[in-house]
Order: sequence, then C-alpha cells, then structure tokens
Amino acid sequence: MENRINLNDGLIKQNMVFMSGMLIAPVIACATSLSKSLALCFVFSFVSFAAIILCRFIPRTIVYTVRVTLYTIAAAVFYIPACLLAELVFGEAVITSAGVYLPILVTNSLILSKTETRFYLEPPANMVRDVIEFIIGFDAACALTGFFRELLASGRVGGAEVPVLFTIPALETTFGGFLFVGIGAGLFRAVYNRSKKRASEEADDSEDSLAEYAEDMGEFLVGKHGRSEKIRIYKAAVGKAKNENELLEMEFLSNRDVLAAFEAIVSEGQELSAPPEENAEPQETGPDAEEKEDTDNGSVS
Amino acid sequence: MEAFLNVISAALASIFVQNMVLERALGANVLLYASRKKEHVIGFAAAIAYTTTISAPFAWLFDTIFGGYANYRIIMPLLYVLTIALIYILTLVVIWRFFPKFFKSLRRYVHLSVFNCSVIGALFLCSQQGKDIFAYLGYGVGTGLGFLVAAYLLYAASARLNSPLIPAAFRGYPIMIVYVGILSLALYAFTGYSTSAL
Repeated sequence: MENRINLNDGLIKQNMVFMSGMLIAPVIACATSLSKSLALCFVFSFVSFAAIILCRFIPRTIVYTVRVTLYTIAAAVFYIPACLLAELVFGEAVITSAGVYLPILVTNSLILSKTETRFYLEPPANMVRDVIEFIIGFDAACALTGFFRELLASGRVGGAEVPVLFTIPALETTFGGFLFVGIGAGLFRAVYNRSKKRASEEADDSEDSLAEYAEDMGEFLVGKHGRSEKIRIYKAAVGKAKNENELLEMEFLSNRDVLAAFEAIVSEGQELSAPPEENAEPQETGPDAEEKEDTDNGSVS
Repeated sequence: MEAFLNVISAALASIFVQNMVLERALGANVLLYASRKKEHVIGFAAAIAYTTTISAPFAWLFDTIFGGYANYRIIMPLLYVLTIALIYILTLVVIWRFFPKFFKSLRRYVHLSVFNCSVIGALFLCSQQGKDIFAYLGYGVGTGLGFLVAAYLLYAASARLNSPLIPAAFRGYPIMIVYVGILSLALYAFTGYSTSAL
C-alpha cells in the first residue's frame, strides 16, 4: 500500500497543541502573555527547524535508541544561538520570565517522534514544507493562547491596556492554562469535524445528490440514460477527482473538482456513454471505464 | 538526619506542592500517553524517577562548577541533555546485556519516558530551588512519584473520560486536559493561594 502523507496535516489536522497534544507544557504554563508566547514560538521554530533538518542527515543505520539521543543533542546545540537571538529580539526580562519552558523545548516531540515516524519518510523538499507547516501550526496555537489569556486574565494585549468588561485572573495560572487549552482543543475539534463533515457531504456520493449533479451537468449528453447510469458516471467523476486530489495532496474534495472531472469524463467518453440500444447490456461506463482510463494513462487508480 | 529530612521534604514538595505535571504542566503530553495502560503508568513513572534521580547529582555538580558563569543558563540544556543521554545509553547497554527480554519490551517507549520535558524540567527546577545535593536527589525521586500520582489519577478516570456521554469533539484528549486542569486546581490548595493572590 502506498504511504501517502498529507502535507497540510501540521497546520490543522495534526496541530501540535489543539489536536494531537504533542507539545502542550509550554503553552499551558508559560503562554500567559503575547510577548512570552512569541518568545516561545521563536525559540521553538528555530530549534525545531534547524534540528530536524540536521537530523535528516543522521544515517538510519544507527539504531533508533541511540539516534534519538543525537536528535536531542542537536536541538540543545541549536538552543544556544536561538536563546541568544531571542534575548536580542524580546529582551532578557521576557526570556527570564519564561523560566524552564524555553530550555525544555529541546526535548519536544516534533524533533523526537515526528522526525522518525514522518519526516524521514518524505522527500527532502516535502519534508521542509511539512516541518514548516507543523511549526506554523504550533506557533499560531501558542500565539493565540497567549493573546487570549493575557486579554482575559489582565485586560491587556502586549502590555497595553485594553478596555474589557471583566477579567479572569485565574487564566494566568497553570490550571487556568489546562482548562483554556482543553476547552480550546474541544472547540477546535468541533469546528474541524464540522468543516470536514460539510466538505465530505458536498462530495458525498449519496444517490440524491449524485442524481442532481448528473441531471445538471450531463443531461444533454447522457440524457437518454437511466438514473442509475448517470449515477455511475458521476461516481466515476468522483473517483477521478479524488485521485487527482490525492496526487495534489489536497484533503477535501470540492464540488468544483468533481464537476470538472465529470465534464472531462463526459466529453472524453461520449462514445462510452452513448445511448445504449434497447434491451442491450449497459455500456462500459462509470468506475470500470475510469479504471481502464487510468491504467492506460499509467496513473494510480 | 538533616540530609535525610532534606530529601524527604524535597520529595514531598515535588509530589504535592510542586507536582511536575499538575502544578507546572511538565510532561503533560507524556502523561496522556502513559495513562492509557496501567503498565505504562508504572513503567513511565519508574523511568522518570530513575533518570531524574541518577541525573540529579550530575546537575548539582555542573551547577556547582559552572554556576558562576554569566551564560551558564544558555548551555545548561546541552549539559543536562548530555548527562541524560549518557545515563540512558549506559542503562540500556546494561539491560540489553543482562536482561535481553526486558530490553525488548522496553525499547518501544523507553525514549519517550527519558527524553521528555518532565525529566529535563526536573533538573532545571533542582537547579533553581535545590540548596544541596540531597535536595537535588529529593526532587529527582519526587518527580517520578509525582508523575506516578498524576498518571494514576488520570488512568483511573480514563474510562469515564472516554464515555459516549461526553460530546464527540471533547472525547479523549480535550476532556483529559480539562480533567488534569481540575486536578491541578485541587492541588493548588496545598500551596495555600488565596483568591486575591490569583
């Protein structure tokens, strides 16, 4: 079975804070203000990106139990310039206030686990893009957490006062962080699940929607076919669009994709979908025809 | 006697008052993984306690020798990581040589229990709060025991946290984090915060 990796996973589907919980300690305990969150994001991005790129060159002939120590050592080495740069950018007071939560980033799961289970399996260019997306996913979650916790806990943003109706000082504490991230993760998942459901519903091959699309798009070409024949053609279009989407590493299938594929199939295969003679066996259309077409083109079916 | 009391008080503090997971969120992601199975709870806690306890004297040594240097805090992670890596590899070699069956069962998740933020975070806290080597050792032991307490509390509730009565979007990871937050809130009582101090 071909191992496909969706390069957009790191942003949303496998977001390190709200979806997979791979790195939550600094966000829960330290991201209490926007400035601290940005300092965390800066150090995390620098250390993780540099360490993962370097670790890519560690030969896999070394056993994993030893290799993982090299990953951590590489991250600890990159922490030195990252911390010095962060002091210049954010000031020593912010870095000091982050306490132990900056240095613990050297043992983050993106470096220790994902390098092994994911990044090693990808071609270099894809790997770089994938790492960047995971990093952006974490940074966005961390910065948003810091922004809202500072706003809700003290009525400030980036140190400047903002008029708010009420404050929740407990959000500055660790238990406040746990509750905020837990509830945030639940809401994030709810929104994700809803959007995923909606996207899949749009591309759903349910009988009614298939018939409607077939009516709209193919009536003039396959008008003399029966309802089941239109549905078969539409299913073939869905299959074709899905294949193309996978090749493009897109997660959701839009109606536009399906309709484009439908048009292509119908216009390419007019003969295939020509009106059958009465009482004759159905013509070779739909999924089977699509399989043939894909095989001929040498693409993955 | 004083040294023994130092160890005990540091250990108790790191279990209840400054619990690594519940009070500082260090190792929260490992906690979620460890709480899935009872064996994992014990295995992870033992590995964390072992690593932090053995590493603590080295951390004390580094702090004593290099503590006066201005940029010591920047190279601390590297020194601590090297110490942990050394202990990890030596321990694995010994286990692999003398207990090959145990090594096979261990190798799948041993790296997760050693290279995580609770172990390295414990060493940083030793450095910040430990006065002598006994306090460092106490924090080392207490970190593992604190993790055990937190992981067991989460494990005990895991069946209910995965109940179908909980909305699908909150089931699993989000509700576990909320539950740990409530445990964390309960543990704040030990530190004696007043609402005005919040």
